[in-house]
Amino acid sequence: MEQIGNMIGWETVKMVVGLVGVLVFVVLNALILTWAERKVAGHMQRRIGPKEVGPYGLIQPIADALKLLGKEILTPREVDKPLYYLAPMIIFVPVLVSFVVIPFDASLQVMDINVGILVILAFSSLSVFSILMAGWGSNNKYALIGAIRSIAQNIAYEIPLLLALLPIIMMTNSFSLKSIVEAQHGLWFVVYQPFAFLIYFIAGVAETNRTPFDLPEAESELVAGYHTEYSGMRFALFFLAEYTNIFIVSAIAVTFFLGGYQGPFLPGIIWFLLKSYLLVFVIMWLRWTYPRVRFDQLLNISWKALIPLSFINLLITGGLLKL
Amino acid sequence: MVERIKAELGATLKETPVGEADYRERGYHLFAEVASADLLNVARFFDERGFYLAALICVDYKEYLELVYIFSNHASLCKVKITLKIDPAKPVAPTISTVFDCAYWHEREIREFFGVSFDGHPNMTYLFLHEGIDFYPLRKEKIPVSDEDKKALGAFRPGEGEDTFFVNLGPQHPSTHGVLRVVLKMDGEYIEDAQPVLGYLHRMHEKMAENRSYLQFLPNTGRMDYLGPMAFNLGYVTAVERLCGIPVPDRANYVRVILTELNRLSSHLMWLGAYLADLGALTPFLFVFDDREEINDILEPVTGSRLTYCYFRFGGLYNDVDDAFVAGTRAFIERLRSRFSLYEKLVGGNVIFTNRTRGIGVITKERARKQAVSGPVLRGAGIPMDIRKSEPCAAYGEMDFDVPVGTRGDALDMYQVRIREMENALNIIEQALARLPEGPIMTEKAPRKLKPPKGDLYHTVETPRGELGIYIVSDESDKPYRMKWRVPSFSNLMIFPELAKGNLLADAVAILGSLDLVIPEIDR
Repeated sequence: MEQIGNMIGWETVKMVVGLVGVLVFVVLNALILTWAERKVAGHMQRRIGPKEVGPYGLIQPIADALKLLGKEILTPREVDKPLYYLAPMIIFVPVLVSFVVIPFDASLQVMDINVGILVILAFSSLSVFSILMAGWGSNNKYALIGAIRSIAQNIAYEIPLLLALLPIIMMTNSFSLKSIVEAQHGLWFVVYQPFAFLIYFIAGVAETNRTPFDLPEAESELVAGYHTEYSGMRFALFFLAEYTNIFIVSAIAVTFFLGGYQGPFLPGIIWFLLKSYLLVFVIMWLRWTYPRVRFDQLLNISWKALIPLSFINLLITGGLLKL
Repeated sequence: MVERIKAELGATLKETPVGEADYRERGYHLFAEVASADLLNVARFFDERGFYLAALICVDYKEYLELVYIFSNHASLCKVKITLKIDPAKPVAPTISTVFDCAYWHEREIREFFGVSFDGHPNMTYLFLHEGIDFYPLRKEKIPVSDEDKKALGAFRPGEGEDTFFVNLGPQHPSTHGVLRVVLKMDGEYIEDAQPVLGYLHRMHEKMAENRSYLQFLPNTGRMDYLGPMAFNLGYVTAVERLCGIPVPDRANYVRVILTELNRLSSHLMWLGAYLADLGALTPFLFVFDDREEINDILEPVTGSRLTYCYFRFGGLYNDVDDAFVAGTRAFIERLRSRFSLYEKLVGGNVIFTNRTRGIGVITKERARKQAVSGPVLRGAGIPMDIRKSEPCAAYGEMDFDVPVGTRGDALDMYQVRIREMENALNIIEQALARLPEGPIMTEKAPRKLKPPKGDLYHTVETPRGELGIYIVSDESDKPYRMKWRVPSFSNLMIFPELAKGNLLADAVAILGSLDLVIPEIDR
C-alpha cells in the first residue's frame, strides 16, 4: 500500500478519492435539491408537491432521473455537432473542480490550495463557454439569444462577485478557504461585512441564472433558452450543473461570511451543510416569489449599483484596515 | 348628438339620404348608403368627430355584396351604420385603413373570406386562412379563388435583413397562451417589426351560424372565448331576444348579471396569473387558480359545466339558482375581498413588477380610438367607456358601479384597471344578490321556433376583454342569414405591432400579456 502510495504520490491518491467523493456528493446534492425545490415550490403555491413516490415523495428525484435516462436522446438535424455534444459535458467539469477546494469540515477538504478562491472563480467563469457552445451549436434562435444574454450577465456579475469577496481576503491576507474559515473563529465576517455579503449573494443568484435573474432560460420569452434543443440525459447534465452551482454559491457564501464549518455542539460538516442549505432555501424562496427583471434592468443593477457599491465597500475596508 | 350628426352627415353626403333607425330594435341610430367615391370622405367625417370604427362587416346578398361600417363614439351613445354596395362580379372597394388603422385587419379578413379587394390597402395577404383554400368561405355561392388572387394573397414572406433576423413567437410558445404566432423581426434583442399570423384555431363559427338554427348555435358562443363564455352567451341571447322582441323576467336578468360577473372575475383572475407567469413569477398562477376553483365550484351545480358554459336561454335561464348558490357566492365575495391585499403585496407592491410594466406599451387616447381597442385596454388608456354603463343589457342598468380608468396608458395601468374591475364585479354581485327578485326564470312568451323578422341588428356587450359586437342579418328563416362577431381580442391585438416596435423581446411579452388575448376568440 505504502509502495503504491509512494509510486504515484499520496496527493494523487487523495485527489482521486476526493474527486469520487465529490462526484457522489454532486449527484446526491442534485437529487436532494430537485426534491427540495419541488417541495418548496409546492408549499409556496398552496400545493403539497410530490408525495406518491416513496414517503413524502423522497424517491421522486430517482424516478425523474430514471425517466431522463430512459428518454431517447434527440439530436436536431441542423446542429453544429461537436459544439452541441461537448457543451453538456463541459458545463460539468468546472463545477466538479470547484468542489475540490471547498472545506466541508476542518479535515474534510480534498485540497487546501493557497489560491483556493481564485480556482473557484476561474473555473466557474468557464461555464459561460459551455453555455455559449450550447446556444451557438443548437442552431436555434432562442438558444442563441439565451446564450448571448448569459454571457453579458456573467461578465456583469462576476465583477461585483469578486469585489464583494475581496474585503474578506484583505482582512485575512489569504486566498485559502480554510484559513478564511479559521479566521472567523470569534465573529463571522457577515458582521464586519454585511454589504459585501448582500452584494455577493445577489451577484451569486445572478451567476447561477436563477429567478429573478433567470434571463438566459427565461421560459416565457425564450422557451428554455440555451438548452431548448437538449433532451434526455444531456438536458439532465445542464440541470445537474445548475443545482450544483447553486450549492457552490451558497457554500462560498457560508465559507466567507457565515463561519464555514464552525459552530457549537454539532460536528463541522453538519454546520456547514445546514448553513449552505439554508442559503439554498433562500435562493429557492426568491425564485418562487419574484418575477423576472428585464435585461437592461439586470445590467443596470450590476453596473450602476452593485459595482460602485462594492468598490466603496472595498475602499472603506482598506482604509479601516490601514488604521 | 344624434340629431347633430344626422344634420352634418346629411350636409356632407348631399344627395344620399341619412335614415334614422329605431335604436332599440337595430342597435344603431343612423344609417346611410354611400357610393364608393364618397366612402373616404365619410370616414374622414367620422374621424374628425372622434368616432371609432367599431366593426367592418361584409354581407353577401347574392345580387350584390354589402360592406357595413359601424361607427361608434366613446363619449356619447351614437352609432351610425354606413353601407356600401359592391358588384359581386368585380368586388373592389376603397380602403379606409388610411383613416382608421383598425380597418387594416378587417379589410384583410374580408378579402380572404369574401374576395373583396381593397384599393390602396398596403398588404392584402392572408390573415386567417392558408394558401390551400381554393374558395371564398363566406360567399353564399362557391366562388373559386383565381390564381391571380392566390398569388396576391400568399405574398407574405419574411425576408432577412443585413443585421436582423426573424423569430417566430409561436404558434407554440409559452407566452402566447394558445396558438398565436407573431413573426418578430429582431435587431439583437430589439424588435423592429412584429407581424401576427392568425388562424391556427380558426373554426369558422360565422359560417357555422349560417347553417344552424338560432338555438343550435348557442353552445358555439361559449367556445369562442373559453375564459369568459358567460359574456359571450349573454351577448348572443340578448341579441336574439332584441331581434325577436322576447321579454325576459327580472329574476333571470339579475341571475344573468351575477353569473356574468362571476365569470368576469374568473377571467380576470386567470389573466392575473398568466400575466405574472409571463413576467417570470409562477407562484401567483397557482394562487389565482385556487380562487378560480371556488368560482367553478359555485357555477358547476347551477350551469352544469366548468368551462364552456351554456346556461342562458332565449327568454330566460336553463334552470334556477338555489339558496346554496346564493350562500356560496356570498362566502366567495368575502374570501376574494380578503385576498386582494395579498395580491397587492405579492404583485402590485413588487418593485420588479412595477419596473417591468411602468411605461411599457403605452397607448394614447388617440391611438386607442384609431385602433378601436376596447375593454380594460381602452380604460387603461384613459377613456372611461364601459358598455355595461353606456348600453346596459340584462340588469346592468340598475347596478351602481364606477368605471376605473388609467392615467398613463401603460401595462401597469391595465393591471390596476383590471384589479379595480374585479373589486367592482364583487360590488355588482353583492348588489344583485341583495336585490335578487323572486319569480319565474323563463318567459312564457318564448316561441318554440325562432323566426326573427327581416332586418339587421348590431348588438354589443362588455366581455372581460372588451366590446363584443354581434351583427345579425335575418331573412325571416330560422337560421341567421349572416352573423358577424366583432370580438374584442381581435381588435386589441391589432395595436400590438406598433406597441412592440423598438422594444425589447421581454417587453413584447409583457405587452402581449397586458392585452389579455384569448386566441380562440380572435380566430373564431
